[in-house]
Amino acid sequence: MESLMAYVIGILFAAAIYMMLRRSIVKMVIGLILLSNAANLLIFAVSGMKRGAPPLIPEGASAPLGPVADPLPQALILTAIVIAFGVLAFAVVLIRRAYEIVGTDDLDQMKDTDT
Amino acid sequence: MLLAVLSGFLLAAFAPLLTRMAGKSIGWLLAVLPASLTVYFASFIPQIQGGDALLIEYTWMPGLDISLNFLLDGLSLVFALLISGIGTFILIYAGSYLKGHPNLNRFYVIMLCFMASMLGLVLSDNLITLFVFWELTSITSYMLIGFNHEDMDARKCALQGLFVTVAGGLALMAGLILLAVMTGSYSLHEILNSSEALGSHGLYTAALICILAGTFTKSAQTPFHFWLPNAMAAPTPVSAYLHSATMVKAGVYLMARLNPAMSDGELWGQVLMLFGGATMLVGAYFAFSSTGIKKVLAYSTVMALGTLTLLIGVGTELAMTAFVCFLVAHSLYKGALFMIAGALDHETGTKDITRMGGLRHKMPMTALFGCLAALSLAGLPPLFGFIAKELLFEAVLEAPFWSTAATLAAVVSAMLVVGVAGLVAVKPFFGKPGNTPKDPHDAPLGMLAGPAVLSVIALLFGLLPFIPQNAVLLAAMQAVYGQPIDTYLSLWHGINLPLMLSGVSLLAGIGLLTLWPRLQPGLYAVNTAASRFGPEAGYFKVMEGITHIASWQTRVLQNGVLGMYLLIMVAITFGLTGYTLITRYGLHLSLQLGDSHFYEWGIALLLVVSAVFASSTHSRLGSVASMGVLGFAVALTFILFSAPDLGITQLLVETLTVILLVLVLFKLPEFVNLSSPFERYRDLTVAVFAGVVMVLVVLATLDIQYFESISSYYIENSAPLAYGRNIVNVILVDYRALDTLGEIFVLSLAALGVLSMLKLKAEDQHKP
Amino acid sequence: MSSAVVYPILLPLLAGALSLALWRSVRWQRTLGVVFNAALLWASIWLLQEVMEHGFVTMEMGSWPAPFSIVLVADVLAAIMVVLTGIIGLAIAIYSLVSTPRGHEKFGYYPLMHLLLAGVAGSFLTGDIFNLFVWFEVMLLASFALLTLGGERAQMEGAIKYVTLNLFSSAIFLTAVGLLYGMVGTLNMADIAQKVAQVEDPGMLTVVAMLFMVSFGIKAAAFPLFFWLPASYHTPQVAVSALFAGLLTKVGVYALFRMFTLIFTQDVDYTHTILLWAASLTMLTGVLGAAAQFEFRRILSFHIISQIGYMMLGLALYTPLALIGGVFYIMHHIIVKTNLFLVSGITYRLLGSYELKDLGGVYKHKPWLAILFLIPALSLAGIPPLSGFFAKFIVIRAGIEAEAYVVTGIALLVGLLTLYSMIKIWAEVFWKKLPEHVTNTARLEGRIKDKHNWAFYVPVVGLAVCTLIIGLNGQPIYELAEKAATQLLNPQLYIDAVLGGQQP
Repeated sequence: MESLMAYVIGILFAAAIYMMLRRSIVKMVIGLILLSNAANLLIFAVSGMKRGAPPLIPEGASAPLGPVADPLPQALILTAIVIAFGVLAFAVVLIRRAYEIVGTDDLDQMKDTDT
Repeated sequence: MLLAVLSGFLLAAFAPLLTRMAGKSIGWLLAVLPASLTVYFASFIPQIQGGDALLIEYTWMPGLDISLNFLLDGLSLVFALLISGIGTFILIYAGSYLKGHPNLNRFYVIMLCFMASMLGLVLSDNLITLFVFWELTSITSYMLIGFNHEDMDARKCALQGLFVTVAGGLALMAGLILLAVMTGSYSLHEILNSSEALGSHGLYTAALICILAGTFTKSAQTPFHFWLPNAMAAPTPVSAYLHSATMVKAGVYLMARLNPAMSDGELWGQVLMLFGGATMLVGAYFAFSSTGIKKVLAYSTVMALGTLTLLIGVGTELAMTAFVCFLVAHSLYKGALFMIAGALDHETGTKDITRMGGLRHKMPMTALFGCLAALSLAGLPPLFGFIAKELLFEAVLEAPFWSTAATLAAVVSAMLVVGVAGLVAVKPFFGKPGNTPKDPHDAPLGMLAGPAVLSVIALLFGLLPFIPQNAVLLAAMQAVYGQPIDTYLSLWHGINLPLMLSGVSLLAGIGLLTLWPRLQPGLYAVNTAASRFGPEAGYFKVMEGITHIASWQTRVLQNGVLGMYLLIMVAITFGLTGYTLITRYGLHLSLQLGDSHFYEWGIALLLVVSAVFASSTHSRLGSVASMGVLGFAVALTFILFSAPDLGITQLLVETLTVILLVLVLFKLPEFVNLSSPFERYRDLTVAVFAGVVMVLVVLATLDIQYFESISSYYIENSAPLAYGRNIVNVILVDYRALDTLGEIFVLSLAALGVLSMLKLKAEDQHKP
Repeated sequence: MSSAVVYPILLPLLAGALSLALWRSVRWQRTLGVVFNAALLWASIWLLQEVMEHGFVTMEMGSWPAPFSIVLVADVLAAIMVVLTGIIGLAIAIYSLVSTPRGHEKFGYYPLMHLLLAGVAGSFLTGDIFNLFVWFEVMLLASFALLTLGGERAQMEGAIKYVTLNLFSSAIFLTAVGLLYGMVGTLNMADIAQKVAQVEDPGMLTVVAMLFMVSFGIKAAAFPLFFWLPASYHTPQVAVSALFAGLLTKVGVYALFRMFTLIFTQDVDYTHTILLWAASLTMLTGVLGAAAQFEFRRILSFHIISQIGYMMLGLALYTPLALIGGVFYIMHHIIVKTNLFLVSGITYRLLGSYELKDLGGVYKHKPWLAILFLIPALSLAGIPPLSGFFAKFIVIRAGIEAEAYVVTGIALLVGLLTLYSMIKIWAEVFWKKLPEHVTNTARLEGRIKDKHNWAFYVPVVGLAVCTLIIGLNGQPIYELAEKAATQLLNPQLYIDAVLGGQQP
């Protein structure tokens, strides 16, 4: 499954980057969301995917009975998902405000600050 | 010694206060410091005159081989005496010249710093400390040249001087470090006393070029001479000081200082003779063809600097004798002449020589000392300048190579200098009274003291040359030569070739002088026409070029288009990664996809389709909806592969994201195609490339597991030690609680940011 | 093991939380700002002392053994960085008392400032690669919010670029962490380092190293990844600019130093050569960018980039002296650059503009301010005997001794152009006569006297004194940098300090 996921992740990265490069500010944000999903899946894939063995310890046992999925990357991804959500919420409001102030959703129109 | 060097800086700190308190006599008051420094340095004469060197040690930054050691030998003592001695009169002079100037206090602050930097420069034993003071003289002289800072020309000239000298200074820094790499020491006396032959070292040429780039720019050697005449934008006391004993002499000092170490390579002498000779001629010619009295003097300084460089290049015992004498003679008469020029300009209200004449009646004392100094400049007996010039002729006649050319150059420039001396002494003081804006009087005492003392000293040294010779000059000559020298200075050497050359050049000079009124306008026109091709034009071209390249580069790179920025970043990221992957790891394409269940294929397909649809649809709603689908597919993946917590979180977050997107984005316009087809294909290519690189990287990583994960620890210890059954949760709240803490702060920061963006609006603040 | 390593993170976090709790009382938030940042400075100096005494100070969070817990690690470099954070934090807190507009204060300026500092300090002190990501994000979100605070149009445009490009960097960072974990199965940096050192065929590690390099390169504003910086740094209010200018990019530089001395040293010829060229081009493009600008803060912003190049050069040359130079440069740069931004804020206060064409006459009316500008400006340009000279000298000397002549030549040229820019500001803002179209000269000419002007000058004077001390009394600073460099070049020291010298 990991090899298959590698291709899926590649496509996700490509889609994310294509969207980020668009001039429309909304598409760019969608690109960012795609990118963070791609990164999360990548962590999940490269640290090994196990079917049906969640890292839980049954009542009464001091350790899982059989081999379980690696819990550490899961913890990392969980943190990353939540952080990404915070960032995303900020970014979405930012583009909304920027649109209100600048009056366009075309990123190429927003180059006054640089020159 | 440390205190002596730094006292200038200390006094500078109090100068504004003293200026306020002392009022008119501030010049005299402050001059006490350099005067006492002169006495202090003079007290070292007995220890130095035998050719010994004194090393006074202070530590500074031993880790970097930087010390505050001071080396006092004949050469540095001559310089120290000139700097503090002439400095005394300059300070007095400035008090009078700039009387009532609102920024006199600031002037003194900078001037004192400048003086102290100069002293530090000539006394430092450590190469880096020397460089520290070297750069300080550049900066302080910048402040002095631009003293009339509201005048744009002054600012430009100041910048020019700074830019040229600092550019050279940076080369010098590299040169000094190279020198230290070659010799293994940053200490001058160790370098000078080491027996190693530097000339054959592989870095010798590089070091030589770098060091000379520094000294040539500082000492205004052709083709870098142009900044010096422009530095005349400074008030006259500054010019007088800059030209006579300081700043431009710094380069000469360093060349003389390093001469014993560097002269064993042939290149040293050749380069110095070439540039020195050229500078001598250029300086003499321009001095003769300028009209402003300060310009004339400035170019004659250029000529003198060329002569000094030439003499170091000649490198014989005789040349070193001539070098030291010429150096002292020049400092004396040039300081005096500049102060005279300032007095003239101060009294008559003009700098143009052509408007002056017959002033000896109205300004008798000024005329007397001016003529005395000019005689020394012209190299006439019985002044010290004569001795120096005779020695110069002798030295070039006996030069080991290029003797004829050097002699010719020396004679031509001597001839021109006679003309120059006539210009500054004869033209203003004799002949018909000129038409000057102000009615002139003799300059006040403060302005006459300097010229008087300096020109009288020039006379005394000429009449009694053995006094300075025995005191310090001999020691200085030995320091430059690196070996004991046996010489005896005297006014009269009998009738010999040098004397005849002097006679020839004197007569020719007088001839030129009489022709001057007719020659000058023509020469001036030629100079103006030629200046478009001169080194100064080159300087402006360089400055313009920098601005052009800078603005071109910024337009191209920082063009304001976010898409381009991202494109470059993506290209760099994946280009670098892909290249590294292929060169450092190789291409291992695995197509083992058989281990997946059919429903997993389904999820994978769902992920791909939703991602592709989200990025290709023209409908906002479609795009957001397929983002939602993608999110749920990701959640499904998590759940299927043993990460239920992740799945649940992902579901929750995805729902919120979709709601947020719908709420916010639908205020924004519909999707339209903003980019051209070319841009889209370009972006697509880059995106696909990035995707391919990521596939390869992930596949490669899947093949490699160097070490087992540390997770087994968590799996084994969660229940017994951390009392939790959901290992992921245990990791989050216990083992890696700090991450979770950070995460909480990230969320609250996001909330804070959103709040302030929504509530604190710029348009509200601008409302009255 | 000492708790000293916790406080530099804990104090600003606490201050941030308290300021949030005191949302309604701006007065309390101001007080807390100064008090807690003073405490931060004190705590960081304490940490530095502890580090100088013991070599390393580490702490395993939650008392779980390393490498299973998150470990906070302070080596000399990290401690130095934290001290600098404290210095800048305090300076900014005082300066903010007078420079921050009311509205900004009401909408979370102070909590944001504290949490930004917490993120910065956390990034310096953490010994865990994923935790580093988390602190980066804390810092990043705080900086997002500070950047947009006030909601001006330029801020929004700048922020969009800043946010997007930094999020891209974060995603790359996260990807790289995932890949690295997939290969070595651990997150603790010391553990990674000692495992990486055992790998025989490290090709894939170099590939991941590239991802880290790009990600941190973006944060550090290296060529050609710096675009976000000139697009945004001149847009927020000046105290925020100064805070960013001093600290944010340096976190990226620090991360580069950490990763490319501790972990990715398996293919130095390749990785550090890339760094070397990136460093050279960073110096050059940055300084040329500045030469094309005529706005006070834009000029300064581009110079940040060019100086990041010098620091990276120190890392890229990878000799003991070069690393010393890099560390020395960081110390000098943070103080000087922040100070220059603060000075630009004062001239803005006096004349209401950052455009050079609208400024002038400051030297005539405010000679002391002119001196306060000259100290950091000339230091930045590497004029002796100020701090920047020694920083530059060490790097150049290291370059020549490493026989990297081309790069050294570029570094020298960049020094000249830096001086050119600083002199441009000096000539235009200070020397030039006040342009005729400028009418609001009451403050400049002293006809309006503000009550609390001391808060503008105290930080500027304090930082100028730091610059002078680093320059004139450079030996202790040099020794500090030397100690930091020694540790950086001996990763085993770090590994032993964190993992207790035994293999798990």
